[in-house]
Amino acid sequence: MAPPKTDTKWSVEFDNVRRDKLFKHPPRDSTAYPSLAAAVDPHIHSFNAIIEKNGLLEHALRDIGTKVFLDGDPNAKPEGRPRRNRLSVRVTQVFLDKSQLPPTNKHNNSDRRIWPAECRERHVTYRGRLRVRMEYKVNNGDWRELVRELGQIPLMLRGNPGGYFIVNGIEKIIRMLVVGRRNYAMAIIRPSFVNRGSSYTKYGVQVRSVRPDQTSQTNVLHYLTDGNVTFRFSWRKNEYLVPVMMIMKALVETNDREIFEGLVGPAGSKGLQEKQFVTDRVELLLRTYKAYNIHGRAKTRAYLGSKFRIVLGVPEDMNDEDVGTEFLRKIVLPHLGNSSVTENQDADKFKMLLFMTRKLYALVEGECAADNIDAVSNQEILLGGSLYGMIIKERIEEWMNSIRLAASDWCSSNNWATFDSEKFNTDFIPKILRKTNENIGQALEYFMSTGNLVSPSGLDLQQTSGYTVVAEKINFYRFISHFRMVHRGSFFAELKTTTVRKLLPESWGFLCPVHTPDGSPSRRQQCISGFTGRQRGSATRWEDPRLLLPKQAKVIGDTLRYWKVEGTHNVPRELEIGYIPNSNGGQYPGVYMFSQAARMYRPVKYLPLDKEDFVGPLEQPFMSIACTEPEVESGESTHVEYDPTNILSIVANQTPFSDFNQSPRNMYQCQMGKQSMGTPGTALRYRTDNKTYRLQTGQTPVVRPPLHNEYGLDNYPNGMNAIVAVISYTGYDMDDAMILNKSAHERGFGHGTIYKTKKIDLNENGRSARGARSINKLFGFAPGGLIRAQWRDKLDEDGLPHCDLGRVEKAFINQDGETSFIRYKDSEQAFVEEVRIIGSETGNEPCQTLSIKLRIPRSPVIGDKFSSRHGQKGVMSQKWPTADMPFSESGIVPDVIINPHAFPSRMTIGMFVESLAGKAGALHGLAQDSTPFRFSEQHTAVDFFGHQLRKAGYNYYGNEPMYSGITGQELHADIYIGVVYYQRLRHMVNDKYQVRTTGPNNALTGQPIKGRKKGGGIRVGEMERDALLAHGTAFLLQDRLMNCSDYARAWLCRGCGAFLGTTPTVNEYGRGRKGTGVTRCRRCAKRAQGWEPKSEVWEDGSGIRWVGGEDVTVVAVPGVLRFLDVELAAMGVKMRFKVEP
Amino acid sequence: MSFQLDPQAMDTGDGAPQVNIREHQGNSTNIDFILRNTDLALANSLRRVILAEVPTIAIDLVEVEENTTVLADEFICHRLGLIPLNSKGVDDLFYSRDCDCENYCDACSVVLTLHARCTGIDVMTVYARDLVVSGNPLNDSLGQPVITDPAGQGSIICKLKKGHELKMKCVAKKGIAKEHAKWAPTAAVGFEYDPNNALRHLDYWYEVDPEKEWPVSENADLEDKPVEGDPFNYDAVPSRFYFNIESAGGLEPDVIMQQGIKVLQRKLADVLQELDERTTDGADGFGGVREPEVMDGYGQEPGYTTPWQGNQSQWGNQGSMSAYGGGAQTPHGATPYGHAY
Repeated sequence: MAPPKTDTKWSVEFDNVRRDKLFKHPPRDSTAYPSLAAAVDPHIHSFNAIIEKNGLLEHALRDIGTKVFLDGDPNAKPEGRPRRNRLSVRVTQVFLDKSQLPPTNKHNNSDRRIWPAECRERHVTYRGRLRVRMEYKVNNGDWRELVRELGQIPLMLRGNPGGYFIVNGIEKIIRMLVVGRRNYAMAIIRPSFVNRGSSYTKYGVQVRSVRPDQTSQTNVLHYLTDGNVTFRFSWRKNEYLVPVMMIMKALVETNDREIFEGLVGPAGSKGLQEKQFVTDRVELLLRTYKAYNIHGRAKTRAYLGSKFRIVLGVPEDMNDEDVGTEFLRKIVLPHLGNSSVTENQDADKFKMLLFMTRKLYALVEGECAADNIDAVSNQEILLGGSLYGMIIKERIEEWMNSIRLAASDWCSSNNWATFDSEKFNTDFIPKILRKTNENIGQALEYFMSTGNLVSPSGLDLQQTSGYTVVAEKINFYRFISHFRMVHRGSFFAELKTTTVRKLLPESWGFLCPVHTPDGSPSRRQQCISGFTGRQRGSATRWEDPRLLLPKQAKVIGDTLRYWKVEGTHNVPRELEIGYIPNSNGGQYPGVYMFSQAARMYRPVKYLPLDKEDFVGPLEQPFMSIACTEPEVESGESTHVEYDPTNILSIVANQTPFSDFNQSPRNMYQCQMGKQSMGTPGTALRYRTDNKTYRLQTGQTPVVRPPLHNEYGLDNYPNGMNAIVAVISYTGYDMDDAMILNKSAHERGFGHGTIYKTKKIDLNENGRSARGARSINKLFGFAPGGLIRAQWRDKLDEDGLPHCDLGRVEKAFINQDGETSFIRYKDSEQAFVEEVRIIGSETGNEPCQTLSIKLRIPRSPVIGDKFSSRHGQKGVMSQKWPTADMPFSESGIVPDVIINPHAFPSRMTIGMFVESLAGKAGALHGLAQDSTPFRFSEQHTAVDFFGHQLRKAGYNYYGNEPMYSGITGQELHADIYIGVVYYQRLRHMVNDKYQVRTTGPNNALTGQPIKGRKKGGGIRVGEMERDALLAHGTAFLLQDRLMNCSDYARAWLCRGCGAFLGTTPTVNEYGRGRKGTGVTRCRRCAKRAQGWEPKSEVWEDGSGIRWVGGEDVTVVAVPGVLRFLDVELAAMGVKMRFKVEP
Repeated sequence: MSFQLDPQAMDTGDGAPQVNIREHQGNSTNIDFILRNTDLALANSLRRVILAEVPTIAIDLVEVEENTTVLADEFICHRLGLIPLNSKGVDDLFYSRDCDCENYCDACSVVLTLHARCTGIDVMTVYARDLVVSGNPLNDSLGQPVITDPAGQGSIICKLKKGHELKMKCVAKKGIAKEHAKWAPTAAVGFEYDPNNALRHLDYWYEVDPEKEWPVSENADLEDKPVEGDPFNYDAVPSRFYFNIESAGGLEPDVIMQQGIKVLQRKLADVLQELDERTTDGADGFGGVREPEVMDGYGQEPGYTTPWQGNQSQWGNQGSMSAYGGGAQTPHGATPYGHAY
């Protein structure tokens, strides 16, 4: 009998047994946490879309098409040379293999697969071979087929949760990037458009046209002051401008009347008189084009072809008209047809150009408003897989193009041999293909590990770096939110305006209003709301957008929606039907339908059918979606939200009672939840992160939303339930400090561990060794050499450290047979957790790499940071003995004491409610539901939990009489005490403290250097200096600024007041010209004439004898003063000092 | 409740501290008693001593021979320390620091061994019962792990999977909770006085109605409720204290209390001894309590010069005078605290 299906329904309950069973026996049929899997789905599906049947790469190959190269001397005169042969090359199929051992490894034949865990542990990349089936023919011969290997590309993991890559042992993800909505003509007013050229205006209509392989081509129509319209596009990072009329006429066989009527409306239709503005401009548009004197589609195409022949890089023997066709295929609105374009598709493009022009005129006239590119309704998401696919496509195309160069090199170096010769047949693979750079894998590995995009075309994107980030596993919240994060692009980071950072109403339900960093990256990086999905593309093809007649538009929109939710008439369920009604100067009206990938959509309930409907950001502003059931207005609302908390991200949803908090506190919690010490994963044994944190005594929170279980967060505990008293006790809880009960600490409160992994590579130059010859270092003690007993304390026979020993050294020998060590240099004691000996993938090299995992226990110390889940962070300031802590009548002693002053200004009422709920939950053994928006004025949280507390025999409002632990006297006020979930943050004093008595100084200035790592000091800056000055503590100032800094004793001449004139005298007669210890001023001295008494004459270092200059003294000055003197002297400025008395 | 009595009836009225035990079952972990005729300071001292200074034994030193489990050594050792051990007769045990032995011996410690190896496929759980006392402890029960659960397993130490092994030698030593919470004899000490708030030590906060919002202590019936309108007695002090001692299992609760009194007595005796002229004068070699005296090298310097380069001040003058003159004089010829010519 098959095992029962895994239950995926979760409640708020603790469910210990069920979780334990799931952990011990992971389900095989499906994950128990489908919501968690859905959270990373967009990444995984977008990656799968690359290689799947009819996937991105298949479309890409169709778009690339066949490359044709010609033989012969390109510089030869056309008349003299023979007919040139055509070599056609095309790629017909792409294969991506699973990760496998390379064939050179002969050691393991039973299982050649490489699993991700192995890659993590070995610090290598999880990658698979990329191969292509390539075909070539010469002239009209038969296609010949061969398979080429293009290196190994990093693969995405599918596991639970997957969606990331492993590059050099580090987990990397491709960030989701916000880009403009595809295939939607956006009206834009941008002052910088004026800079395009003379008579250009700020008006434009832009469309980001996306091909089926997800690559895009942006087309812009510009409005010129005279009413003309030009078409702008960028190709391989260069911009080109073409009159829009030329493109229209090249697309279809048309005439001026058709264009005029397409823009203005049929001649003789009513209302034409009012459209004077448009008619005037269209007339001008048509008239100015006459100057080109190009008639008919073929001629226009040929004209375009002649201009763009070089730019497009087409075969030399292609005729101009075909080049023009190619131009239209590749560049003009390719979403309407980009491979084997039909007449109909060209007509579509033509109509869309008409539509865009019409919208542009409407924008200029003020009939419609500009679309806001910062609004979510005009945006979509560039998914990791799509970007990855784009890069692969471009690399394949580049590689095919590079055959041209290799082939012509071959021709010229073989005495202009021809492609139809026998020699070409034999040389094609070894002499031509081998010359090309076939290693696409390397390029992709570079992309993944650096996040830098190296691309000749720029891929229609606005940035070249920052595409990938490390999926840090500090704790699970951090990890999972990497997958939900969308990024606005680094281009917008530098923008001084705040418009891009605004939280617009359009993002309701799509981007979490809470979960965004505060400060400079605010709202550039946001988190997608919990249940927002992304679509991968649908079966039915809709040509979008399409224009409909205004009267019928609403009916059509409504009908389509009904059919869509109903699932009839072949309307895809994820279709976005953006009905934009007629308005007075609002958004350009129409019905716009979107069915393609990379859109955001979210589920809401469709009231007429009481079924799930998916809503996209473009249609949402024009729909009436009630937030809760009671808010449904009959005749008005069409939809209702499933839950108001759906607008929050996964992490934001975990903040208990967040609706009671002041909003920025919830933002702070979203940040702090991600930096708390938690449980990064369950298989820590197999992880080799550079640095990872682990909480030893994690608990499940008593107060949590049901979503906590739904995402399986109990598998990754992130904090501890603490008894928290809100009281000002002893003064050690001032200013956001908190007092920790010493006994609570000793029982394990907040205990944690840091794991650090250090990779030790003997092969420093990075190149893999070729055989034993080139190896000059090995691990272990030198054979026959001396092995000291003290070494063996720490190191095993093999020279590697024992496990679980503090303070380790690692040893190796070099070829000379000498033992040297690699030492652990940190000041903190660490234990060796694991030693990994890493062999090479090829299996024929000696061991050169070690990976040592160190464990640093970190129990909380004074100065470590803790926080509740309400943005209330604090530093532990004292571990207070239990006996001295305040206690309640039942003998309960708080674990944590926080100061009441933390609340009035911050208004984190949610924390009070959590305390109340936690206390009631602990007393009754309940898991408390903390979902926001569950209580109302009539049914308050305080009453709900107050009743529970009263039932348990406690005060209704959570207060308790408490006694001073020191005197035993009852405190005058009753104390608010309850259970709050506390997180320990990863910021610990042990990583931050900075102390210096003496230490290294800067060589030039003599001042202490800065930097914690180097044992430097902390600068007493200008403001600190001002404070000391104002306070009148001159001695302290002198101590800081001179004595403890660059105190120097310098010789100074009282007579001339100069530092630089003083010089040490030299013993005239002594051997070796020793110094005498006497210093004189050379400026004030006179050259000795020879008749002075010997006692008055002195000699300087260069042997010149002087008299006088005796009035010198030693002063204590800051060292930089002399430095300044020297610098000024170099500029010809003299400094004089008066010395008194 | 085993028996109910009227505490008032037991009052012999002679003014000495009295204890009325209200509830105590043979194997219970709780005692509930009323301490009367004492002042607050004594009652609280007893509470504090019970919390922090009644000695018990707990695992303090662990020699790890084999640990191939998923938990790190210090993790398991921390858990072992917190396992309550039977501390019956711990009084006869020496503190390890006072013992004559070099490291530890039967007179100052109890050795427990733990050896578990998982050979089956299932996950094996190591419990506190798996700790085996070895050597010759002072009495049979001393150092036995406290097991109160019906299955007789005790607290969980660790879980093992196939091939994991845990072999440790744990040395349990005597100690007090002031040093580490693992030596705490109690889980909590309940402490209450004046349940009717007749002394008005506490100002009850309430939203609407204190009667509804505040629970009434069960001890409230045992005292007279202040009658509204009666004059408030400003001189009244608390004299009845309701204690509830909950044992962690190592010692019986009544023993904890007795030990607490003993420790308190001993502390008082120490103080008395220190204050006694006859014993303090040189008898212990420290000369008793004394005033802080001037120590060599410090104290003479009033602190207005920097100790920079010994005797020489930072102005580079050779000799004993600084640029501004020596000693405590500021440049203005006066100390910062006034003109002291």
